[in-house]
Amino acid sequence: MSCASGVHVRIAAWLGTLVVLCASTLLLAGRDSSAQSSAKPASAKPVSAEPVSAKPASATPANSGPPVRIPSNVAWTEETLKIVSDGDAFRGLLLARRCNHCHGEEGFSPVAAFPNLAGMDRLSFWKQMQDFQSGKRGSPVMEPIAQGLSERDSADLAAYFAMLPTANDAQDNRAFPQAMRDPARTSMAIRLIVFGDGERGIPPCQSCHGPVSYVKGAPPLATQNGDYLEQQLEYFSNGVRSNDINVRMRSIARQLTAEEKTAVSAYYGAGLGPGVN
Amino acid sequence: MKKIGFVAAVILFALVILSTRYYMVDLPVYHFFGGGDGPDPPALHLRGEFVESNLGAAEGPSGSLTVRMIAQQFVFVPQCVEVPAGVPVTFRMTSADVVHMLSFLGTDYGLKVVPGAVTEATFTFAQPGTFKIPCHEFCGAGHYAMRGQLKVVPREQFASLLPGERRTCELR
Repeated sequence: MSCASGVHVRIAAWLGTLVVLCASTLLLAGRDSSAQSSAKPASAKPVSAEPVSAKPASATPANSGPPVRIPSNVAWTEETLKIVSDGDAFRGLLLARRCNHCHGEEGFSPVAAFPNLAGMDRLSFWKQMQDFQSGKRGSPVMEPIAQGLSERDSADLAAYFAMLPTANDAQDNRAFPQAMRDPARTSMAIRLIVFGDGERGIPPCQSCHGPVSYVKGAPPLATQNGDYLEQQLEYFSNGVRSNDINVRMRSIARQLTAEEKTAVSAYYGAGLGPGVN
Repeated sequence: MKKIGFVAAVILFALVILSTRYYMVDLPVYHFFGGGDGPDPPALHLRGEFVESNLGAAEGPSGSLTVRMIAQQFVFVPQCVEVPAGVPVTFRMTSADVVHMLSFLGTDYGLKVVPGAVTEATFTFAQPGTFKIPCHEFCGAGHYAMRGQLKVVPREQFASLLPGERRTCELR
């Protein structure tokens, strides 16, 4: 009996310690949030008024470094994701009438040089529209069109195009899929899309562009036009297009040879890429 | 006795519930002790020292070398960095998405790269040569193909950098 009660006392002591630890942690957490909410308005002003303006002049490397180049004004913050995910597909459908002429009634372009928008990922569509608008991605056609659209319009359009089916329909998809001009390049394309080339720092296409996994801002390529893809790879590698965040796509495109660019884009353009439908 | 057991059970249950909410307690505590004021992972390209024009090897006013790199799914930026041999080189790295780790194959050095924090380490590469930099922390589907390159050149071949110059090299 005495032994049993000793055990109980010990258990109680342990539990008590745990409770005290938990309570102190919670108290700290509470204190932090209250400190943040109460201290910020008071402390934020002097900080922004003096030391911040003094710092870049003396210490910040960006000041002595090259002029800052910003590839895109879009960053995948919580607010941005909320704006994009709040898009209304029905309103997008009404807005999309002005896109039909070049990008097709069903999101499949009549010409292989224009991108197919059916099944396009919302985030990447929205980002490209913002970049057209700010001139970060140059296009004589798309820039004036995007400048007439608000952030919400772009989000609505993104929601609509994301909803369109990518199923192969001979009546609507007049340009897609295109025949693969050089079938001998198939194995090269498969190798790059599925395995990449680690020795040259080329990750597999499907690890960001689906279907294996997706990265924010990377569009699915399974039903994209080959000519368009090849053009964009070329633009990425020679720096004509440079609106990718953190030099990601430019680094990869620079590693690809001209033949590899053709092979990969023709393979996707022929509807053979992984993730169709 | 029964009462104590009951109370203990209730407390244990409460602790289990609390432990599932650990991350909600953990982060504020982390911030309270001064953590979490590193670069914002999704906005690296907008402001701060990791904007794309500031990446690569840079020379400080006292001649010290600093290499700034970003690790992201599934490329290192810049993919190839050039540094002189026998000189201490400070690496400053951050991640744009998930935890990465890089090791300079053939040397004893490695770095863990965490989003929201800057990893800083000073290395001295004794021998000139080309070293692969593979990612050593599983970071996603393309992890195995995530590789960079470190080019260590003899000291006299490394031309000193201008204040605004950032040096990278071509991965081949």
